[in-house]
Amino acid sequence: MNIALFAAAIAVFTGIGAGIGIGLATGKASEAIARQPEAAGSIRSSLLLGCALAEGTAIFGFITALLIIFTK
Amino acid sequence: MDALRDEILFQLSNPVAFTIPVLGGVSVSASVVTTWILMAALMVLTLLLTRKLSVESPGKVQLGLETAVSFLNNFAEENIGEHWRSFAPYLGTVAIYIALSNMSGIFGLAPPTKDVNVTAALALMSAVLIYGAQFRFRGLWGGLKQFAEPLPLLLPINLMEVAIRPLALCMRLFGNILGAHLIMELVKFLIPVGFPVPFSLYFDLFDGIIQTIVFVFLTALFAGEGIRDEF
Repeated sequence: MNIALFAAAIAVFTGIGAGIGIGLATGKASEAIARQPEAAGSIRSSLLLGCALAEGTAIFGFITALLIIFTK
Repeated sequence: MDALRDEILFQLSNPVAFTIPVLGGVSVSASVVTTWILMAALMVLTLLLTRKLSVESPGKVQLGLETAVSFLNNFAEENIGEHWRSFAPYLGTVAIYIALSNMSGIFGLAPPTKDVNVTAALALMSAVLIYGAQFRFRGLWGGLKQFAEPLPLLLPINLMEVAIRPLALCMRLFGNILGAHLIMELVKFLIPVGFPVPFSLYFDLFDGIIQTIVFVFLTALFAGEGIRDEF
């Protein structure tokens, strides 16, 4: 087996962090909207920003894995 | 298994559609050709939708268009602040292009945004918009001073962000669309009939729209951060 494949698999583990982060953020946002439904608009936009930034780490891991596999 | 591997490798590459035989051959990639198709579709749509506009008796199409434009204007005003007016047309154009190219997987085309060159160009345009606006509305000295906001201590981080922001915008769009497109192609490869429909709804439609919103929202937010004083 090629060791690069293991490296790519490890790189994709960044998805764990993004999953936990987005899950926490969405949970807290739901709580906040339930408590203050009138602030739903601004909560949603800050949730979107947080999700985009958290998801970035997973995407970087994915791209790193692709680079490892296809440029080795 | 080899056929599957070839399929993945083909989707990862950016195939050349044809070569223009001038200056030793200018190669035109498939993403550019798809973009031309999308441009033609947008042109036709624009011409069709803006016929018979009237002030006295607006039709249903015109009311829909006006709702969309005022939504865009409100969005720009909320995120950019008092100088929003010159940004709204650019943000709308980019949003329409990214949304349509993300969703072009539904029509059997490979989305142009799965090509890293396309998203890099979009992200560079965003970076020019963000920092160009900062210098345009604050002047040279004010624009430079904005890099030391809110604390002079954060100067190196703000300077690093000049490179990180477009890189992150580019890679986020590219990675999301490429990942969604790869999964869609694998599903289509395994079971071609019927089964891919719900996946297509999620990966092409929902994910494409979310990524469009994220790209435009982040561009507007960064541009607004550079030019407005109070939140």
